[in-house]
Amino acid sequence: MLKKRPHLLWLLGPYVLYLAALPLADRVHPTVLGLPFLFFWLLLATLLTPVAVFLAWRGDRARGRA
Amino acid sequence: MSGNAAVASAIFGVFMLLTVALGLLAVRGHGRGGGLTEWSVGGRSLGTVFIWVLMAGEGYTSFSYLGAAGWGYNYGAPVLYVVAYLSCGYAIGYVVGPTLWAYARRHGLVSITDMVAHRYGRPWVGALVAVLATVCLLPYIQLQITGMGVVVSTISYGAISLNWAYFIAFAVTTTFVVVSGLRGSAWVSVLKDVLVIGTLGFLAVYVPLHYFGGYGPFLDRMVAEKPAWLTFSGHGGSGMGGGWFVTTSFLNSLTVVIFPTTVAGYLGARNADALRRNAILLPFYNVLLFVPMLLGMAAIFVVPGLTGAGSNLALFKLVVDSLPAWAVGVIGVAGALSSIVPMAVFMLVIGTMWGRSVLGAIPRLAQRPERQTAAARIVVVGAGALALLLTYTAPNTLVRLSLISYEGMAQLVPMILLGLMWRRLTLWGALSGLVVGGALVCALVFTEHDPVWGVNAGALALVANVLVALAVSWWGPRPGPAEAARPDDEVLARDPGRDPEPADAPAGGVVSGRG
Repeated sequence: MLKKRPHLLWLLGPYVLYLAALPLADRVHPTVLGLPFLFFWLLLATLLTPVAVFLAWRGDRARGRA
Repeated sequence: MSGNAAVASAIFGVFMLLTVALGLLAVRGHGRGGGLTEWSVGGRSLGTVFIWVLMAGEGYTSFSYLGAAGWGYNYGAPVLYVVAYLSCGYAIGYVVGPTLWAYARRHGLVSITDMVAHRYGRPWVGALVAVLATVCLLPYIQLQITGMGVVVSTISYGAISLNWAYFIAFAVTTTFVVVSGLRGSAWVSVLKDVLVIGTLGFLAVYVPLHYFGGYGPFLDRMVAEKPAWLTFSGHGGSGMGGGWFVTTSFLNSLTVVIFPTTVAGYLGARNADALRRNAILLPFYNVLLFVPMLLGMAAIFVVPGLTGAGSNLALFKLVVDSLPAWAVGVIGVAGALSSIVPMAVFMLVIGTMWGRSVLGAIPRLAQRPERQTAAARIVVVGAGALALLLTYTAPNTLVRLSLISYEGMAQLVPMILLGLMWRRLTLWGALSGLVVGGALVCALVFTEHDPVWGVNAGALALVANVLVALAVSWWGPRPGPAEAARPDDEVLARDPGRDPEPADAPAGGVVSGRG
């Protein structure tokens, strides 16, 4: 499946953002817009997840799969 | 009854009537014919919007109002696993959703247990999984009943007693589920989502302004005074560190895509692309989950000293403390609907699994679809009544069971996901894995070894489950000649790719649920 549809790797984006990157993000400082860094990071991941899925979908579209 | 109590109770009452009416109206024009497919999966006709509200409605339960705020209040950061696993799960749902949808549609299946029975060619496996899944789902129904009870009695300023609130939860939900099934749940979800998004959006702005003079001062105070809440493993020696967060989120993200209620949502879709669009849009809903958690942390400053079950009311304490009665009523309705919608789908799924996979395995019912539909509806009432009865008489039994619910359900992942993609997984392999994984979950959880070595016990059990399943598949008994002769297309599921373009499905896919 991944050979024909490599763009599906985008779907692992949230796993990288939430889970793999956690050791780097598990901190209070620096705060971003007042948000403690961990919360800023997880909020960012939440906003980027739809983007990652969209990129997978766009890949399917471009190859006429979806 | 005081003035406040009367206003809030009246608003609650009106909305409950509206909920039942909406649920019953949904069936108009779809009542006759269609049978179990119409009732259980909405005749496979829901478009992107309905699928979105329905699945968002299932994911956002009374836990989000009570538990998320309570965890935020007690521990802080660990509660974010909810956001993490839902986001990851929705993303892989992009592939899993259309795959399961296409499999069910091709073979005329209506539930996850139906799929298992078809995959392994043995009706009794479907029945077995249906019984196990029911044991895992019943506690959730009870959690929704008690959750709604607590919300309703709080927002009515005590005017509606807990016991009455439990009964209202059961009565409202059962009425429309029995009549209109998944479609009714989708319609009620619309009302729910409007209220949830509206009230949480409002609270997210109002509470920090009202109590702290804005987000800046609130967050500054949080960082300065309560840093323990802001990183893992949270406040108060919860044992829920980064390792627990990662393993729990990973395990739950796999579980949520095969969770019987999620699958009911998948199967309701009119086409595969509605599910793919849904997978893009659904993660946005998770932004809302940050709100009750932040409000729970705000409550640390405003109503300090809540302990035990009291901390679950962190959010509603703020609401009752700071808003007029009518607003309290509306927010309470949003909270109550967050119990009703998931409960409706839980009961529907139990009814479907029993109607088709358990009772349908009885020879006298096997070839009688109309009797299966009737049986499914009776099971819905029975399951709801059982959960209600246990709530009144033995509230702790199901609470104990709920500890293993999610991790127990996770043990079905190899049997379902791996089984549908990989032909060489044998029935005996899948069953052995399930037994070992399930036993390990029970052993670790009931001896209070969860998390174990900083890792989610269910995740550890899943590893054992997969290893056993692979080993038995390789070295264990081979499937018989009849089973081996079935072609791959008959047994395995795959992503269906581009939808054919039927004349009645406009390209947008954003149409009402009337199909």
